[in-house]
Amino acid sequence: MQGNHHHKSFLRLEHVSFSYYSALGEVAVLSDINFNVEKGSFVALVGPSGCGKSTILSLISGLLKPVGGFITFYSEDFCAPKVGYMLQHDHLLEWRDVYHNIMLGLEIQKTKTDENLAFVDELLEKYKLSDTKNKKPSALSGGMRQRIALIRTLATRPDLLLLDEPFSALDYQTRLRVSSDVRDIIKSEEKTAILVTHDISEAVSMADVVIVLTKPPCAIKDIIPIEFEKNGIDRSEIRTSKLFQEYFDMIWREMQDENTEL
Amino acid sequence: MKIQSSKNGQKSYSVIAAAETLGQQQFIKHQKRHKLYIFWSRIFLFVAFLALWQVSSNLGWIDKFYFSSPSDIGALFIHNIKDKSLLSHIGITLFESGVSFLLIILCSLVIATFFWFYPSLGKMFEPFLIVLNSLPKSALAPLIIVWLGTGLRTIILCGMSVGIFGCILNLYQSFSQTDPERLKLIETLGGTKMQAFTKVVFPGNIPTFISLSKVNIGLALVGVIIGEFLAGRRGLGYLIIYGSQVFKLDMVILSIVILCAIAMVIYGILNFIENHYKP
Repeated sequence: MQGNHHHKSFLRLEHVSFSYYSALGEVAVLSDINFNVEKGSFVALVGPSGCGKSTILSLISGLLKPVGGFITFYSEDFCAPKVGYMLQHDHLLEWRDVYHNIMLGLEIQKTKTDENLAFVDELLEKYKLSDTKNKKPSALSGGMRQRIALIRTLATRPDLLLLDEPFSALDYQTRLRVSSDVRDIIKSEEKTAILVTHDISEAVSMADVVIVLTKPPCAIKDIIPIEFEKNGIDRSEIRTSKLFQEYFDMIWREMQDENTEL
Repeated sequence: MKIQSSKNGQKSYSVIAAAETLGQQQFIKHQKRHKLYIFWSRIFLFVAFLALWQVSSNLGWIDKFYFSSPSDIGALFIHNIKDKSLLSHIGITLFESGVSFLLIILCSLVIATFFWFYPSLGKMFEPFLIVLNSLPKSALAPLIIVWLGTGLRTIILCGMSVGIFGCILNLYQSFSQTDPERLKLIETLGGTKMQAFTKVVFPGNIPTFISLSKVNIGLALVGVIIGEFLAGRRGLGYLIIYGSQVFKLDMVILSIVILCAIAMVIYGILNFIENHYKP
C-alpha cells in the first residue's frame, strides 16, 4: 500500500517542543519531536500514559501552538490541509439522529453542498450504515457509534485524520472489530492517519509505522515500520502471526524500559 | 419461554416472552389493580375530608365563621363566577404570573448566555447573585413598592424577584458544565464559539431549561401573590388579604382553593411537556 504513493512526504515535525504553564511552574510535555508522515500512510504513536501523545495531535491540528520547532505540511496545491479528528468518545449528540450527527461538520463548515450530501450518502451506503440514518445514537451499540463518528469526520473530506484513542471506551471484542473496520475505511478512502494509543497490539495491527515515545518530557524512542504485507502475511491473519508477536514484544520491551526508568 | 425465544429470534425474545407467560400476565394485572387502588384511595381521602369538614361545620363542631364550609365556598364560587368578578381576579393573577415567568426565563437565558461567552463576567457576578438568591425575596417587595408604586409593574417585578437569581445561576452553571470534549469536537471541526453554543451548549441544556421552567413558574406565582398582598387591587392575592381583613373567610379559602387548582393545572402541563420532549 505504501508503494502506491512513492513515499511522498505529507507532514514533517522538526524539533517540536511544547510546555504548559501552571502555578507550580513550567511543565515540559514534548521535547525535540521529529518525525515524518508519508501521504496515505497510517502512523501510530504509542507511549506511557500521560506522556503527551494527544498534545502532538493538538499541535498538528493547530488547536495548540508549539513552543519550539516546525510543523510542515507538504501539498501540491499550496492549500492548508484539512484535518479531521476522532476522539476517545464518539460525542454523537443525542438530540440529533445519526444523519444529522454526520451533518454536524458540514453544517459548521457551511459546506452542505449537493456534492457533499451525495458523498455522505455514498459513505453510508458503502459501509452499510444506511439503515441507521434515522435512528437516535442511543439506539446504537458503542462500535456502531464510533463508526458513525468516523463517517462524520470523513464527511468533511479531511486530508489528514487524527485518531485520539478512539477505541479505548469500547469493550475488547468490539474494539478488535471496529479498529479493523476503521483501518479498512481509512485505507480505502486513501487517507493519511495518525493514531494515538496506549494499546500496543492496536498500534501494530492498524499502523504502517509505529512511533514509540518516551516518558515525559516526551521524546521519540524508536520508529518501527510494520511490514506484514512485505512478509506475505494476509491482513486477516496478522493478529495470529509470529511477526505480530515479535513486533509486540519489541515495543513492549521498549516501553518497559521507560517504566523502570520512572 | 425458551421455545418462544428460539422460534422468534433473539431480538423479540424478551418482548414476546413477557406478553405471553402466565406469570407476566398476573404481574401486570396485579400492578394495574394496585394503581387503581391508589387512585380511588386518593379520591376517597379527598371526599372524606370535604364530608368531615361539611358535617363538622353543620353540627357546630367547628366555628363556621372562622372555618367556613365546602357548601358555602361552593355557593360563593358560583355566585362570584356569575357576577364575573372572580374570573377577572383569576385572570389578572394568571396574567401577572405568566408575564413574570416569561421575563424570568428570557432574562436568565440572555444573562446566562452572556456569562458563558464571557466567563470572567460570570465569575465577577456570581457571588452577588448567590447573595441575592439566598435573600428572602419578600423582603424586597416593600422596596419595590416605594420605587415603582402599586401597579402592575411592581407585582410583575415581585413575581420575578423570587426566581430570577436562582434561575440565572442554575442556567449558567449548567451551560458551563457542558462536556469540554464536546466543545473540542466543535473546535476540531473548525467551529466558532457561537457555533459551539448553538450546536452543543444550548440544545444540550434543554432538559435543564425545562426543569428550571417547572420550578420557576411556581416561584413566579409565589412572587405575584406576595406582590398582590402588598400592592394589589385585583387578583387572588388581593382577595385573600381583603377577605381576611373583613373576615370573609369563605372568600379567603375559595381563593386558596383556586390557587391550588391553578398550581395543579400548571404542574400537569409542564409534566406533559417534559414527558413529551425526548432528546
